[in-house]
Amino acid sequence: METITHDLDAYIDKVSTLPPAPVILPQLLHLLHKPEVDSGRVVELIECDPALTAAVLRLCNSAFFASATTASDLLEAVVRLGFDHVYQLVVAIVGARAMRPAQKGYGIDEGELWKHSVATALAAKCMARSRGADESLAFTAGILHDLGKIVLAQALEQSYAKLVKEIQVNQSSLLESESAILGVQHAEIGGRVLARWNFPDSLVSAVWNHHTPAAAIGYEQLTSFVYLGNMVAHFMGFGYGHQALALRGRAEALSLAEIEAQELPHYMIETFGLFNEMQALIAAKD
Amino acid sequence: MPSPSLSGFEHRVVVGMAESVVSNNPSVTLATYSLGSCLGISIYDPVTHVGGLVHIMLPDSSIAPDKARTQPAMFLDTGLPKLFRSAYEMRLDKQRAVICVAGGAQIMDDKGFFNIGQRNRAALDALLQQHGLRILAQDTGGMVNRTMYLKLATGEVRLKVSGQTTETVLWKL
Repeated sequence: METITHDLDAYIDKVSTLPPAPVILPQLLHLLHKPEVDSGRVVELIECDPALTAAVLRLCNSAFFASATTASDLLEAVVRLGFDHVYQLVVAIVGARAMRPAQKGYGIDEGELWKHSVATALAAKCMARSRGADESLAFTAGILHDLGKIVLAQALEQSYAKLVKEIQVNQSSLLESESAILGVQHAEIGGRVLARWNFPDSLVSAVWNHHTPAAAIGYEQLTSFVYLGNMVAHFMGFGYGHQALALRGRAEALSLAEIEAQELPHYMIETFGLFNEMQALIAAKD
Repeated sequence: MPSPSLSGFEHRVVVGMAESVVSNNPSVTLATYSLGSCLGISIYDPVTHVGGLVHIMLPDSSIAPDKARTQPAMFLDTGLPKLFRSAYEMRLDKQRAVICVAGGAQIMDDKGFFNIGQRNRAALDALLQQHGLRILAQDTGGMVNRTMYLKLATGEVRLKVSGQTTETVLWKL
């Protein structure tokens, strides 16, 4: 087991397509969970990244958040929109950097993984909100859940046809096919990358187990929101590649999330509305 | 809706999720992308060249009546009647209507908890049967994402499956 872990870490090291670590996300999440949010500290963190600062201001002044006055600096934006909104903008912008590019190894065209991630994040957030759980955490986990695909896409470029065939011939899921062909799968790789980036255990576990939510010990509900959010995104056609819906139905995700199967159409409708409202975020290029 | 002139140019008009479009402009090709578990349903009258396409998300509007009023094409039971009504106004004849359907994909789910695609398809069959209509060509179910095109000049319906490079003809005269 030790060697396998070591090999995986060595593998992650070699991957040249890995985006820069979004260190700002765990730091902001930490601030978000304090009883009194220190706006000054939030601004300081965001300002370390000039492109991010510009993108937050631009989006905050876009039609979606339109108001009579224009926010000219970050502090004003945070005060006006509230920290939750600014946090969501930051997650979306940081996520877009990693998720927008095409990933040939999975048959993903430019922007497809990003749309899928946003739809998953919005659905997971709606579920978390309805159950009184942490919606910012669910949104973040949803944005990041397929991070491992960016890592594996390179390895799969030569064997994508084999992956598709494996799914069709053996009726195995995408995750099972990745394991059969590469010896690793994207959910675990994504979790490992987040752990290396010192993300909180909740996010590491939710990403690592997003196809097997019952295995996310201690974070079953959050992980189930992501699992179900991913499914809602696929129902709505926010998928990519061939055999896009090759994922296993896990009925236990419903009980772990405390959500009824009959509620899923409602989350599709809610996600549809939010997705359209968020076109500015979805198109985000900084 | 593009104006009915400019012959020679093929306009692609995109039908978004929970939208429907009807036209008799022969230079138009209606397109609806990445259906997932949603259904793309096309209708076409080969005599008048009136055609329409709808991208339906869910089977039953009773779960969100307010939504159905503002966005009837979201649901099968409100979206399909609306598609036909708009097409009748442009002289589509019910008896001649060529009906094609694609989408309704499913995840791997033996227990049927997550069967939105199947339920969409079952609702379509029930509604068409009620009205004595039948489907002429179809490609539904499976685990693939489909994109659907209806060319109004000829009524040809083409499909493209995500992750594959070639398009296939679902129906043509």
